[in-house]
Amino acid sequence: MDWHQLWSILSTPDNVPITALLFLVPFYTWYGLRQAFANDRLIAQLETDPVLAKTHPRKTFPFRPGWSKEVPVWPYLLRIEFLAAIIVTVILFVWSVALNAPLEEPANPNLTMNPAKAPWYFLGLQEMLVYFDPWMAGVVLPTLIIVGLMAIPYMDANPLGNGYYTFKQRKWAILAFCFGFLGLWVLMVIIGTIIRGPGWMWFWPGQTWDHNRVIFEVNRDLPDIFGITSMVGKIIFGLIALGVYFGGAGWAIHKLFVMNEFNRKIYQRMTLLQYLALQFFLTTMMLLPLKMVLRLLFRIKYILVSPWANI
Amino acid sequence: MPETSSQQPDQDPVVTSSLSVPLLISALLLVLVLFWSLYDELYGQRLWKSYQDRFVKNYTSLIQKQLPAQAEQEKQIRQSPEFQKLEQAAAAAEDAVRPQIAEIDREISQVLTPQIAVLNKHFAEARGEVQALQYQMETAASQRSKESYRKDIAAAENRKREAELPTGNGVVKKITFNNYGEMDAELTRLKARKAELETKRIELLKPAEEARRKRDAYMKDHLVGLTEAQMQGLLRKMQTFVMDIKQIHVADVDLVDRCESCHLATREPLKITKAEMGGEPAFTSHPAPELLEIHDPERFGCTPCHNGNGRATTSVEKAHGKYKHWLWPLYDRANMEAGCQECHIRDMVLTYADTLNQAKALVDHRGCVGCHRYEGYDPEPEQLQIVQQTISQKEALKHQMLLDAQRTISDGDRAPDNKTAQQLYAKADNLRVMSSGIDNEIGELDRQAKNLMRERKKVGPSLKEVRVKLNRDWIPVWLEDPQDFRPGSRMPRFRLDDDQRKAIAAFIWQAGVPGQLPSRPKGDSNTGKELFETRGCMGCHSVGEGDNSVGGTFAANLTRVGEKANYEYLVRWVHDPRERTRPYCPLEKRDIGPEDYQKAGLPFVFDPDHSTCPNDGHEMQVQQMTVMPSLRLTNEEAQDIASYLITLRKKVPNSYPAAPYMDDPALKAKGLAWVKHYGCAGCHEIAGLEEEGRIGTELTKEGSKPIERLDFALLTHKAEREGWYNNKGFFEHKLENPAVYDEGRERPPLERLRMPDFDLKPDEITALTTLLLGSVDSALPPRYFHQPEGQGRDIQEGWRIVMKYNCMGCHVLRLGQRSVIMDLPRYQDPDWKEQIPPQLIGEGARVDPVWLSKFLANPALSETDTNRNGVRPYLNIRMPTFFLSDHEVAKLVRFFEALSSEQGPYIPPKLEPLTEQERSLARALFTSPGAPCLQCHATGDPRHDEKATAPSFVLSRLRLRPDWTRRWMLDPAMMSPGTAMPSGLFKPEANRMVFAGPTPPGFEAYKKDHAQLLVRYMFEFTPEEQRRLAGSAPMPASASRSVPNPTRAALQ
Repeated sequence: MDWHQLWSILSTPDNVPITALLFLVPFYTWYGLRQAFANDRLIAQLETDPVLAKTHPRKTFPFRPGWSKEVPVWPYLLRIEFLAAIIVTVILFVWSVALNAPLEEPANPNLTMNPAKAPWYFLGLQEMLVYFDPWMAGVVLPTLIIVGLMAIPYMDANPLGNGYYTFKQRKWAILAFCFGFLGLWVLMVIIGTIIRGPGWMWFWPGQTWDHNRVIFEVNRDLPDIFGITSMVGKIIFGLIALGVYFGGAGWAIHKLFVMNEFNRKIYQRMTLLQYLALQFFLTTMMLLPLKMVLRLLFRIKYILVSPWANI
Repeated sequence: MPETSSQQPDQDPVVTSSLSVPLLISALLLVLVLFWSLYDELYGQRLWKSYQDRFVKNYTSLIQKQLPAQAEQEKQIRQSPEFQKLEQAAAAAEDAVRPQIAEIDREISQVLTPQIAVLNKHFAEARGEVQALQYQMETAASQRSKESYRKDIAAAENRKREAELPTGNGVVKKITFNNYGEMDAELTRLKARKAELETKRIELLKPAEEARRKRDAYMKDHLVGLTEAQMQGLLRKMQTFVMDIKQIHVADVDLVDRCESCHLATREPLKITKAEMGGEPAFTSHPAPELLEIHDPERFGCTPCHNGNGRATTSVEKAHGKYKHWLWPLYDRANMEAGCQECHIRDMVLTYADTLNQAKALVDHRGCVGCHRYEGYDPEPEQLQIVQQTISQKEALKHQMLLDAQRTISDGDRAPDNKTAQQLYAKADNLRVMSSGIDNEIGELDRQAKNLMRERKKVGPSLKEVRVKLNRDWIPVWLEDPQDFRPGSRMPRFRLDDDQRKAIAAFIWQAGVPGQLPSRPKGDSNTGKELFETRGCMGCHSVGEGDNSVGGTFAANLTRVGEKANYEYLVRWVHDPRERTRPYCPLEKRDIGPEDYQKAGLPFVFDPDHSTCPNDGHEMQVQQMTVMPSLRLTNEEAQDIASYLITLRKKVPNSYPAAPYMDDPALKAKGLAWVKHYGCAGCHEIAGLEEEGRIGTELTKEGSKPIERLDFALLTHKAEREGWYNNKGFFEHKLENPAVYDEGRERPPLERLRMPDFDLKPDEITALTTLLLGSVDSALPPRYFHQPEGQGRDIQEGWRIVMKYNCMGCHVLRLGQRSVIMDLPRYQDPDWKEQIPPQLIGEGARVDPVWLSKFLANPALSETDTNRNGVRPYLNIRMPTFFLSDHEVAKLVRFFEALSSEQGPYIPPKLEPLTEQERSLARALFTSPGAPCLQCHATGDPRHDEKATAPSFVLSRLRLRPDWTRRWMLDPAMMSPGTAMPSGLFKPEANRMVFAGPTPPGFEAYKKDHAQLLVRYMFEFTPEEQRRLAGSAPMPASASRSVPNPTRAALQ
């Protein structure tokens, strides 16, 4: 275990936000979910007790009789925000005094640094380059991420959960988001920072980043495994494989979606366009974990191989 | 539970709880952090403040401590009678002009200055008015308004003006000027008067000024250190010291060095040591202020020489650049001179950089350039290649032209009309003329090739001669560990396994050029030993192992040479080391044998005068590429020396284990591959591998190679842990053990590191590391680079040749340098001291350059009688024949001239011819008992010359410069301490030098300079005169009877 290596990665000024991310993201996820579960229990209680529902003050659980029904923003919210602002200021002060800007030597056009890493917030995108064609990972998928995020309000047919934390009423939305954000984005940032070493090779935390390390890995395309050699054959095979994937994934997502009564109601409310868009974004998102598994466990590079684009 | 809590209403924490405590704590924290950041900004990031604080304190107390002693010293000087006298002289000079000065001062300050001030004001007003009108007139639109303005101008100019001028004694003088011009004239007159008076004042004060300057100069010469006033000045400077960043800014190179913010004493006039400043190394003054004088810090800054991050001020590590991302960290003390190399790439010898000088000598001596290209070192092979390629191209071009000419003629023959035909014929003629021009170019290129082939040297001996030179069975033993057979050898240790060694040895043996040496009779080894020790061999070679080793280290140690070499080969080598068995033709790329000569109907003779190829007519390599010169020995002498050398051995040559595999043809191909792999041809001449390139990486810019490009291999993490993961660490470890980066790796032999082990000593490693660290791709603009021109370049080019041929083994060329010969035990004997070769400091001022070039090309100064020294026949040691190329001779001559600051070209001055009377006077003085010149100087008489210790006068006219000769006669001991030539032969009298001893009769009437008379006599000295003197001199007349004078023959 090379503690020095681990420490040198975590303590680099560039990586401080990511080290913080390691602790802050789980904490706030837990904190938000705790509130959501508390509210779910409150909803359950109030649904059984209509009288209480009328007298019950704010969305707090368990019920407190003496508490005021409403609390004004001034001063009760603002004073807390003020306190938070001071604490954040203190943290920023300490940070800026203690750590200098991570400047390095002047860029040398004749020398590529190894590993050459993107800024921390782009490391997720850079990690995607391992699994996709640069055209896909660099252009198509980032565009789809942005468009997908913008499209969420238009695809969301669930009227519940506005203004309060809840898990029960928005299970589908929360799980899908957590998977996309925590599982795919944050995790990939962390992999890009801590796991990827020289040559973008996979180093477990605590393994020494050895520039001379050599690994043997031959990647194959999916058509190669099936012995398809001609270009046309590969394209046709790839298209069929992708079609099978999208069909299968869409069917599975549909089955999952209509599994319970609540979602079936939502499904009824959705237009065809809304539903198809939702299906498209979800199946496309699931491509990434699928390709990670194929690449990392089965050394399969591309499903569809063509002279113009690879997937 | 809701039920229980509803019974006991509790407080709503959001409304009722107080946030005061967290607010207070965080507010306090905020204030604390604010103060911390302020402190960090003002002091934490500005370390130099505390440095400056301590410096002012320490330096003030240091000055105060030194001040009384200094003041006391100054006082004593002031009280000395000499100073008093000077002081009085200064005062007297000042007193003498005091009334005049006072008068001038009064006029200037009381009359002229106030008058000028008043008049100036009036004049400015008038001028303003006139000029404004002038402008309006020039820009007026119509001729009429111009006219009216002209009238206005005239009116303004002619208006009467009044001024009240003070006259100095309280009275005000009223002057009326009739017009503008009058006023102008008056003002000019006043100004002129003032200037005149001021000049007069300076003139008057000159003697006083001079006396004061003399007084101050006396003080400066006698006072060690600073004067009291200067010290007080330093104190005042400390009192008014301003705390800020001290910065050198050189705008045009974007250089900002703030080093002096902490290193405050760097340029202080006092010499400050660490101990005096409370042990702080940052506060010492620069150890070599004379370097700062050459490299003014205001122009050069600090970091161009020392490296480091000149802009950084936040911490010592940052400022010294000792952190990961600064690419130019401060050079360590041991490698300080790397900074010199950055700009002084072209200098071979630098006065203040001994480490670098050592490294540069090593690069040549150990043959680094055999494998690694380094710009400026060993450039001959590349130049030669270019010349040869150009020759081939030119020949192809010429061939094409002649072909074209032929075709054009036949076109002309078929031309439809006469005019076209004539045009075509003319064109063909032109082509033929042009091709003859190419012939000339090829001739010039051939001459260049000839020069280059003479200049081109290899570090190791030619391996073409192994078959005639070596004991076959010895070769594998040598390859196993050259340092074991011959400690200190230039040949490094290759890491060869048994198979490799056998293959290489077999290849070398079989690749040897066939040949047969004539058998030679054995000589006398005792005579040989004597000759070896006295002819000058030991200027380069040594004998004896370890502490017993005697002689120079430039060439091989010969302690065991008898074990490896053949006697016949040694004879040939000692007689003429440049002799080859076969010449090499670089165009055909093969050795030319007798059969080629036979085909061309030529005798198999090749030497520098017969150096063209019988097949293609171009220059060939006709000499061995060794720097070893010929000592012009006779065959007998060579046999004697070879007989001596063959006795130098520890065991019998045939006691080496027999190596029959050397003749195994199967091993040859294998060996060839290995020889190529290890780059043997970099240092040795090997048949078939003459054109091999260098196998190593180029080192010219090695110091600026990014650390990522240096392959630490498996040692990367170890180096990082141990703190040598940097260029310096890489070089040092590599030089100490060239295989170090193979550590832990298991590779087949072909993939292992090839660099052999040179067994370098720690100081050599440091020197080479320094050179490599300084070999950078500098970001400095070209004007910072030292690009010697004119004499500077001549000197550096000369040093290259001097080092190449080891001139300093026998001669002293630099002050303080000692030649190898001087330190040999034999030459400690007073009788042998006179046998030491002449020192060459000031040689350029002494000799005629044309003569020098002849001498360097042929030190015997004779074509026929070569077994002797041309100038100093009395020396046993020989000035050898180096077979220098014309270029090298010219460079050496310019080198000596430049060292003596002689501006070329040298035109011998015309000396006034002697009159008959003068000649007889000079002759009398020359042979007088007070000046027995011919007692020591050679006369050409063999019996006398045996004991002579100075050159013959016959040579003077062509060899020496008259002005130098005169200076030499006046005081030879000053130019060359310890010379046998007596000093004090002349004494000054009035404006001339007269002979100090008893002068011969007839000199009373002679009123001219005696020394000059002798010089003129010497420069008219002829062999006849010499014979005549010898006849009258107190020596047997028969001695000079009919000696054929070789010197004369040489000069004609």
